Amino acid sequence: MTKTSSPDSSTMNSTELIDRYLQAVRFWVPKSHRQDDLIAELGEDLHSQIEDKEAELGHPLEKPELAAILTRCGSPMMVAGRLGPQRYLIGPGLFPIYQFVLKMVLLWIQVPVFVFIVGPVNLANDGGSWASAVLETFGDWWSALFIAAGIITLVFAIIERTSAKLGTECKWDPLKLPPVRKDERKPSLLKAVCELGFNVFGLVWLLLVPKYPFLILGPAAAFLKAAPILHTFYLPFVLLSVVALVRSGITLARPQWTWFPLLSQLLQSVLMLILLNYMIHAITRSPSAYPFVVSQYAVRDSPKYFKLVAIVNVSILISVAGAWLGLCIAAIVQLWEFLRYLRKRTSPPQRIASLGAQ
Amino acid sequence: MANGTAGSPEILENLKMELRRGCLIVAVLAQLRTEQYGYTLRKALADDGLAIDEGTLYPLLRRLETQGLLVSQWREEDKRNKRFYRLSPAGDLILKQLLEEWESINASLNKILQEASL
Repeated sequence: MTKTSSPDSSTMNSTELIDRYLQAVRFWVPKSHRQDDLIAELGEDLHSQIEDKEAELGHPLEKPELAAILTRCGSPMMVAGRLGPQRYLIGPGLFPIYQFVLKMVLLWIQVPVFVFIVGPVNLANDGGSWASAVLETFGDWWSALFIAAGIITLVFAIIERTSAKLGTECKWDPLKLPPVRKDERKPSLLKAVCELGFNVFGLVWLLLVPKYPFLILGPAAAFLKAAPILHTFYLPFVLLSVVALVRSGITLARPQWTWFPLLSQLLQSVLMLILLNYMIHAITRSPSAYPFVVSQYAVRDSPKYFKLVAIVNVSILISVAGAWLGLCIAAIVQLWEFLRYLRKRTSPPQRIASLGAQ
Repeated sequence: MANGTAGSPEILENLKMELRRGCLIVAVLAQLRTEQYGYTLRKALADDGLAIDEGTLYPLLRRLETQGLLVSQWREEDKRNKRFYRLSPAGDLILKQLLEEWESINASLNKILQEASL
């Protein structure tokens, strides 16, 4: 079976054709899988088929008839696949966990990290060029996606093999299963009214701040005033407050739009994040050591106020950084909630029989 | 992506394949109460309406042999080496139990179908 055959197919007989076929099958069958036994048995089967066909037709088979038998049998690679043991990288027992981890890492960890951390860092490094930052972030994400997926797959493949050898099995206690969740999202009227009230109050407060700085600085307004950077960002903050007010108004007026609070909250968080990003970017480029507040002209030369101004600026900077981080987390949670909502809306209703009977 | 829509031939084929899978084992064990080699076994099964391809039969025979349900022997017949299979004593016992199970499933199914048709 291993002899070298002539490439001239015109002189080929049935034995030679079967040998060629078996050689091709042998190439694909795993060597550990009793290869010779299987190949010999397959060869015997093919010879028997040919004999039967010859007996039926009453003459030796022509090349097309031989080829038809082998074609019906299947391509060598396919036959080898069926002859070999069933192989999979990650088995059905581990696959749901693998899928869950993959989804968690790629969707819920990697995407937010790239959107809220890597993206802004690239944007800052590229000097505010959105196009090049987006391209660079997308390139980084693409590489990270393949690396993460590869590592996760490799780890699970190793677990699949080692756990089979160790004979470990999933242990679980039915008594420790979590209680049934009530997944009905009931719009809360009280929440919507409170939200509207707070947003009205916030907007009024923000509009009054330029005229009455003590509303934000308290008694320190006597010797502190807003730095130019705050004047630049004042209008966008007012606009965002108006957006928040409109959003809470619509939520109250249209409670049947169950998608609206989730989506608008997410968009508001994203807008706020963008604004904070610009602010942080502007602060890092600001030549002033005191980007948020400066001392009033009357006390400018007093050394005791230098320290106070510095403390207030650092406090605001920490607050801005904290707000940025908090908004990142909020945006991730809101995105997750919105996607979960979409999934529920698009998937057909599936209820456990016992729950449905209640 | 879904494999097919309800009532599609693809779904029917998959269900038929699942239904046949367990039956094939019983059929192979039953056929091997008398000694046969691979090709004649395939022919016998096909003649009785259970066609099975080479790629399915030989790994199945190998698995049943590993489980101790079959014994095999290479022997020369008609100037060719052939591997003959027959049921082992353990295989004979298992076949009896499987046939009992088959009867039980069949009876249950008939009962369910009769109840459904009322």
